[in-house]
Amino acid sequence: MRPFTYTRAKDPAAATQALAGNPTARFLAGGTNLIDLMKEDVERPTALVDITNLSLAEIKPITAGASKGGLSIGGLGKNTEAANHPLVRQHYPLLSQAILAGASGQIRNMATNGGNLLQRTRCPYFYEVSMPCNKREPGSGCGALEGINRLHAIFGWSEKCVAVYPSDMAIALAALDAVVRVRTASGQERSIPFADFHRLPGNTPEQDTNLAHGELITAIDLPQNRFADRSYYLKVRDRASYAFALLSVAAALEVSETGNRIVQARIAMGGVAHKPWRALTAEKMLIGQEATPANFKRAADAEMAAAKPLEHNKFKVELGNRSIVLALQMALNGGKA
Amino acid sequence: MQDKNKLTGTPVSRIDGIAKVTGKAAYSTDYPVKNLAYAVLFKSTIAAGTIRSIDTAAAEKAPGVLAIITHQNAPKLNVDGGIRGGALLQSPEIEFHGQHIGLVVAETFEQARHAAHLISVTYDRRDPKADFEKLMKNASVPKDKDKADAKRGDVKAALREAEIKVEAVYETPIEHHHPLEPHATIAEWTGDRVTLYNSSQIVNGAQTAAAKTLNIKPEQVRIVTPYIGGGFGSKGGQWANLVLTAVAARQVNRPVKLALTRQQMVNSVGLRQRNHQKVSLAATKDGKLTALAHETTTHGAIKNEFIEPCGDCSKIMYDVPNSLITYRIVPMNVILPTYTRGPGKSTGSFALESAMDELAHTLKMDPIELRLKNEPERDPSNGKPWSSRTTVQCLQVGAKAFGWDRRKPEPRQNQQGNYLIGYGVACGTYPAHQRPTSAIVKLKRTGNDVMATVELAAADLGTGTYTILAQTAADALGLPLSQVKVVIGDSDLPPAAGAVGSVGASSYANAVNDACQKITDELLARSGKQFFARPTASQLMLSEKLTDFQTRIDAKPLESAEEYSAHSFNANFAEVAVNRFTGMVRVNRFLAVTGAGAILNPKTARSQIIGGNIWGIGMALTEESVVDPRWGNFVTRSFADYHVPANLDIGEMEAIFIREDDQKANRMGIKGIGEVGIVGVAAAVANAIFNATGKRVRELPITPDKLL
Ligand SMILES: Cc1cc2nc3c(=O)[nH]c(=O)nc-3n(C[C@H](O)[C@H](O)[C@H](O)COP(=O)(O)OP(=O)(O)OC[C@H]3O[C@@H](n4cnc5c(N)ncnc54)[C@H](O)[C@@H]3O)c2cc1C
Ligand code: SF4
Repeated sequence: MRPFTYTRAKDPAAATQALAGNPTARFLAGGTNLIDLMKEDVERPTALVDITNLSLAEIKPITAGASKGGLSIGGLGKNTEAANHPLVRQHYPLLSQAILAGASGQIRNMATNGGNLLQRTRCPYFYEVSMPCNKREPGSGCGALEGINRLHAIFGWSEKCVAVYPSDMAIALAALDAVVRVRTASGQERSIPFADFHRLPGNTPEQDTNLAHGELITAIDLPQNRFADRSYYLKVRDRASYAFALLSVAAALEVSETGNRIVQARIAMGGVAHKPWRALTAEKMLIGQEATPANFKRAADAEMAAAKPLEHNKFKVELGNRSIVLALQMALNGGKA
Repeated sequence: MQDKNKLTGTPVSRIDGIAKVTGKAAYSTDYPVKNLAYAVLFKSTIAAGTIRSIDTAAAEKAPGVLAIITHQNAPKLNVDGGIRGGALLQSPEIEFHGQHIGLVVAETFEQARHAAHLISVTYDRRDPKADFEKLMKNASVPKDKDKADAKRGDVKAALREAEIKVEAVYETPIEHHHPLEPHATIAEWTGDRVTLYNSSQIVNGAQTAAAKTLNIKPEQVRIVTPYIGGGFGSKGGQWANLVLTAVAARQVNRPVKLALTRQQMVNSVGLRQRNHQKVSLAATKDGKLTALAHETTTHGAIKNEFIEPCGDCSKIMYDVPNSLITYRIVPMNVILPTYTRGPGKSTGSFALESAMDELAHTLKMDPIELRLKNEPERDPSNGKPWSSRTTVQCLQVGAKAFGWDRRKPEPRQNQQGNYLIGYGVACGTYPAHQRPTSAIVKLKRTGNDVMATVELAAADLGTGTYTILAQTAADALGLPLSQVKVVIGDSDLPPAAGAVGSVGASSYANAVNDACQKITDELLARSGKQFFARPTASQLMLSEKLTDFQTRIDAKPLESAEEYSAHSFNANFAEVAVNRFTGMVRVNRFLAVTGAGAILNPKTARSQIIGGNIWGIGMALTEESVVDPRWGNFVTRSFADYHVPANLDIGEMEAIFIREDDQKANRMGIKGIGEVGIVGVAAAVANAIFNATGKRVRELPITPDKLL
């Protein structure tokens, strides 16, 4: 850890201004990711601006605008509160499940919703400063590409970086078509559709998201939907709790009232790419189809056909396939096996 | 031992429990030593080569820095003084990734850590020997004579002529001990004597190793380690951090504290080595074993060997006329492997007991029946009679308690929803020894109150040593528990065995009991009276109106114990549920039935056993330290990557003890339970997974990807 200054922002304007003038300053929210990375000398901010005092923690129904009828979740609310809020549980159980599948009770009590979206990859080469890593040190090479890459990407990776994005919460948010609300350094508001929030690595793996330096996440908006009765977050991991996903699937279905026909399907995958991976191919195939295991399997096959596994993660192709099928089945049954 | 009027054999709660949960128990770095300076290690970023230069200029100028110690300015130390794993800053040679290459000492921990980041090192790098799969082919005969080929009969012929044969290779990964308390030391010099507050499973061993390495006399070193936050073998031998703290303290002329980070634990204090084990079994059609070969290939460090004895279970578990146990080893650029809970037996039993399960399946025989059929009457390795052996009872009692009759003999026959259910069994064993240990008992009377203090340089890993010694002394002296004080964990006390190899309880409790008997005898002699029934020491203190009395004993194991083969035995039963889509495994139920002689405290004993079982479940399902063969670094450096079981991984745990009164092993009939709890566990889980899924996974850990 290197020396840094610490200040506490009194309001959002002060927070964004504090960062605007200093390219190596960072917001400090729960600190559960940033401080760990500072201890490992991966992140080296010169200034920390504590934003935990800003009143941006509220969870409230959206009464106007594009997401009217939906729910707004404060950027500085705690993961625990978001997961347990009655309106989230009732209308967005998928989000609640995804948050509770992540980390541990203690960490979720500290972690904020905005911080969660911005947590960095768990690639071990990123974490160890003596290793090459383009994300940490552009141009130094990718340690994982030909290294121990069991946990790495099968979709959308580049020669520059094969890391996966670790958040569980964000996988549900991707499936729910959430919108990230941001305050820019100059004090403007802007909204980023979830699909455009995180990036694929391409040639600039050092950039995880499309958020500019100094932009503050103020809220995450969830549009209204009809998935509450039929959604499921499936997380496959090396141990039953307190482990990042080997692979996860957030699935949500809306089926016709009369029959078993799929009106809308949402599938997002975690642990497979540098960003939450929307299984759009599978989703499209399911619309108008009957909700049967055979159709789920056909959709999964089509989605996973495009996977490009690395040396140690070939299993993710088969696992992804099975997990899509299982998650859809569980969603269809309202979460029961 | 289970006398109604006795404290031993009863589930007394740990007497140090309150101090621990209230934070009053001082661990190594908790000592309020004044004027402390803080040390931080910096480590090599290559695994093989030579340091070309170390630039410390920026670090020396950083705020608070008091000293920077590297091989260029470190005092000369004795590298053969008993510190394991090298890394004593005596040369520019690098033998493993993350080897200590220097130490920054500063006014505060933060300053030391910051300065360490400012040091830049250049190397002449060599390609490391870090790819075990490739290195394995060059493995050769070990230097260690104990690991020479052990042959009985003619295994080759028996395998050739076998009616039924099972031959398979079992792989176990590198594991780390990762005790909750990382290794940490405070060193404080007073004149030419140094006090080292340092977690040590072998108090006197740490003292000797530190003294020899520092080129001073053992009397000049005091080890203080009243509480240990787990060790599992990694605090048995001592590592460079202990001595380097003393070096730093002398250099800056102040007490110094050095605590390892979790990440530093992977290359500072040993590891359990990677083992490649080939097991060959030959049997008749009705399941009588005719040959057993257990051939292990493993690695050491570059300069030194350490081999965990994977073939030990195979030597004694079954009655088989032809047997072969071998070891081959190859040097590797990793830190020296070391003793790790159930050394050799935990990993070796995975191979042997999986193979037995494979044989039972081939024979279409119940795996319990197969084991009963091959039960040896004497120790097959040396012909000695058993002091006692409980394998049969463990299996029979366990089968009944676990509901073994509900197991489907063929795999994949028990599906419940998305889960495949399976049952598995596996046996284990661990040798029982007593080691020489001295102890002092002091009695003090105030009015009608007698208070006893027991003193010995024993170590309590957090497992209950304080408590069982208090129970033992209370019984032997005729005192309530509250009147007994146990003082341990200090090398100024009478020398004692280490809390290693499951010898702690038998060595310590026998010594304390002997000391209490001796003090009673001496009090009796002193009174000059004849008694109808032998009075207790406490009664004698009162009747003789003595205020202070003490004695010391140097307890030795029974000579006659040598005539017997003494071991703890167990049988492990696991029920698993495997998600048939995702391959995730949950151990729903686990039962360990153990015969480990006298159980001094069923409560702490149960914790020991289920603790071992849980590590065994981790070994089976989650734990693995992964080396990148290109650079020799571990990519699993924290608990986010190195997966020990979490609460949710563990289902119902049950421990049953077989009552035993084995006075052939030692006077109190104590066999020790520290290690046996992990032995046979991984195999029981793997066998249950086979029974559930029909997949035989021979490579640990059994992660979901291996079951797709
Ligand atoms: C051992 C462990 C296990 C874990 N397991 C899981 C898991 O299984 N699944 C999972 O999803 N997560 C897991 N996590 C990660 C955890 O969810 C994240 O660390 C947490 O959500 C981050 O939130 P925070 O508020 O602490 O962020 P911080 O660490 O405070 O910040 C993270 C980053 O976000 C920036 N930031 C924070 N808030 C804002 C804002 N409002 N606007 C703009 N920038 C902001 C900070 O500047 C920083 O760069 C685990 C963490 C640990 C330590
Ligand atoms: S995968 Fe990405 S994060 Fe990992 S080493 Fe390569 S560049 Fe770095």
